[in-house]
Amino acid sequence: MQTIRLKLKEEITSGDAKIPIEVDSLTPDKLFGKNEAEIKAVKVWWGNREENTGDLFDVSVEGEAGTVEEVKIVMEGNLSRVKHIGDGMKAGEIEAIGDVDMHCGAMMGGGRVTVKGNADCWAGREMHGGELVIEGDAGDNLCAMYRGEMTGMSGGKVTVGGDAGECVGQYMAGGEILIKGNTNILTGLNMKGGKITIEGDAIMPGADMTGGEITVKGKVLDMMPSFKFVETTTVEGEEYKKYLGDLAMTEKKAKGVLYVR
Amino acid sequence: MVEGELLIRNGVVYDPINGVNGEKKDISIRDGKVVEEVTNPKVIDAEGRVVMPGGVDIHSHIAGGKVNAGRLFRPEDGRKGRETKTKVCRAQSGYSVPNTFATGYRYAKMGYTFVMEAAMPPLAARHTHEEMVDIPILDNAAMPLIDNNWMTMEYVKSGDTDLLAAYIAWMIKATKGYGVKVVNPGGTEAWAWAKNCDINDAVPYFDVTPAEIVKGLAEATEKFEMPHSIHVHGNMLGHPGNFETTLATYDLVKGIKPYRNRPTMHATHTQFHSYGGTSWRDFESKAGAIADYVNKNEHLSIDLGSIILGDTTTMTADGPMEYSLYQITGRKWTNHDVELETGSGITPFLYSGKSPVNTIQWAIGQELALLVKDPWKLALTTDHPNAGPFIGYPIIISMLMSKRRRDESAEDMHKVIFDRAEYSSIDREYDLNEIAIITRGMAAKTLGLHEHGKGHLGVGADGDVAIYDISPEERDAGKIQKAFLNTKYTIKGGEVVVKDGEVVATPAGRTIFVTPECDDKLTEEMMVKLKDKFDHYYSVTFNNYPVQDAYLPNPYEIKAPWRS
Repeated sequence: MQTIRLKLKEEITSGDAKIPIEVDSLTPDKLFGKNEAEIKAVKVWWGNREENTGDLFDVSVEGEAGTVEEVKIVMEGNLSRVKHIGDGMKAGEIEAIGDVDMHCGAMMGGGRVTVKGNADCWAGREMHGGELVIEGDAGDNLCAMYRGEMTGMSGGKVTVGGDAGECVGQYMAGGEILIKGNTNILTGLNMKGGKITIEGDAIMPGADMTGGEITVKGKVLDMMPSFKFVETTTVEGEEYKKYLGDLAMTEKKAKGVLYVR
Repeated sequence: MVEGELLIRNGVVYDPINGVNGEKKDISIRDGKVVEEVTNPKVIDAEGRVVMPGGVDIHSHIAGGKVNAGRLFRPEDGRKGRETKTKVCRAQSGYSVPNTFATGYRYAKMGYTFVMEAAMPPLAARHTHEEMVDIPILDNAAMPLIDNNWMTMEYVKSGDTDLLAAYIAWMIKATKGYGVKVVNPGGTEAWAWAKNCDINDAVPYFDVTPAEIVKGLAEATEKFEMPHSIHVHGNMLGHPGNFETTLATYDLVKGIKPYRNRPTMHATHTQFHSYGGTSWRDFESKAGAIADYVNKNEHLSIDLGSIILGDTTTMTADGPMEYSLYQITGRKWTNHDVELETGSGITPFLYSGKSPVNTIQWAIGQELALLVKDPWKLALTTDHPNAGPFIGYPIIISMLMSKRRRDESAEDMHKVIFDRAEYSSIDREYDLNEIAIITRGMAAKTLGLHEHGKGHLGVGADGDVAIYDISPEERDAGKIQKAFLNTKYTIKGGEVVVKDGEVVATPAGRTIFVTPECDDKLTEEMMVKLKDKFDHYYSVTFNNYPVQDAYLPNPYEIKAPWRS
């Protein structure tokens, strides 16, 4: 087991400008096999400049890793302007301690990212494998597609301990999302596959959906009028109303399933 | 242009306009122009590699309103081609709709030094020129759309060819354009009435037919010593069975005498116009029928519009066609009306080798190149980005040069390729000289640019040279493709702009425009009608309309006198 500690230097985010840092080059699969000096030389973007990791982070490496799976990166310090944590990662583990900026776990294919805090927008964007755990709240567009694309999350599992923002799982095609709190408007917008469970409340879930499954355990506010009631059914011992939709996408395409209490 | 001397030694030169076919030959350049000899030059040793004049693209959509709209509504395309800035290059983005910088760099890396923007809505001429100025390295020009224009249709209706000539002269001057572009004549205007037109249908309200518009514009164009003929995207593009409309369109200008030895019509992206069948179910290739016509007639030139498999962004002034395409795919679509001039539409499209229709389209583009006997009659294009992005040219080149590559590719396509297209039965293979013709010589000649230094390496020509990293004996299709994607050297106006596939300098290109010279009396008479149009219908005033000289910081003028 190997632990790579990356502690963001205090002076980096102490200025007024709060220039964001993009760390998609700091994933376990990309750092596997590198020693401390080599990790310090990996390039990361800081605003429009490419810098050495060692200039922005205090780097320390403990232990050895025989495989990528044995690599764990722990990110510390004020991460609120650190973007793309775990972006594109394929294996290993990242633990981010504190609130993180946008695109955390985007394009993830494997491994595990844990955020001990809140994650800003676009977390888990276009994720296709692995696991993302956000202990706090998630921002908008969680597990959605990149702007203009027609496929969002297609695999993997995401758990949010708190609330999530707008358009959770937009264009989602596969995988699982569990939100323990509430979601803002349009969860599962244009969804075509996969599964979203909301333990709290949701507003207008399932708009334009053509496939997949959304379960809302709390209240649904502004239920879409274009969903058709099918039956009352029991899920995990609880009674739910099952709806099919979204009929706005034509009846033929309305294959999305929405469970509401 | 850069001052000083350059000598390219030991290259195997393909310069078809000057009849140079694979000769070991030195090329001397002084102050940006090819000269007989140089005395104290910088030397590039080509070491037996293939050397050609800078490439000339006869038809591509690289600048202007719809290209930019395509970029704006396809952020997912923008992220595909991202490259960060370097000491030399600015930041790049995009695949099928690259940003202006990427457009310049990528064309230059393929050895191209001139690109024609094939459809400039006159009202968006300023936007088009602004983007062309922003495109590094390439010399360029743009053709204004004049066919769905109310003035044009009214003059065609009244039969006043001289006044129509006066109008197109004014329009080409006002937009700093190069020639007359025709896109779905009458059909785009009909689209404003939610209709489309075939060649002999009457355009709503104006009561002229597309056939009359094409003929009228061809006659009016030949009133001047225009370097290029009318450039036609005919009716019914992309519809099964449209080859009959296409052949009828070709026939329209058969009797018209061009001012010099060039065709009277350039028919563009012919692949989209060579379809048989009555629906998408019995859709088939009619490349044979089209090629047969081209082989038997001299008044016509074509370009391919060959398909590149994968995702692209279709964009054209052919508004109704884009709507049909959108109805097939259900993907996003945008549509635009350009006052009394033209319109446009944009929608993304995926060409898939698993689709029978796309497979046949893919075959047709290459069949045309293989079945038209005389390469001087056709140019290599993908109607960028409609049939695919221009960076796919090297794929087409490798296909045309290798029967084996085609056979291997056909195996991966839908099986209809074996029974609804001639593709697999054609054995012809292009040689490098023919490739040089369809990628530079023919385009330069058809555009009349060979007289202005483009597309050849004779004394006095522009010092635009592409050195490809292959020997003339190379037969491996993969290596050919690789070499044509990234040159060993691209030289523009005597300056090395690409070395070993990397952009090393980004000089500004020139914008070439034509000034048709019309009789003052005719112009005055035409102006009365034109000013009335501005007073009543245009959203801009007459005086604010023409593109001022400031929009062309590096202008190159070609005068087109009235033929007496």
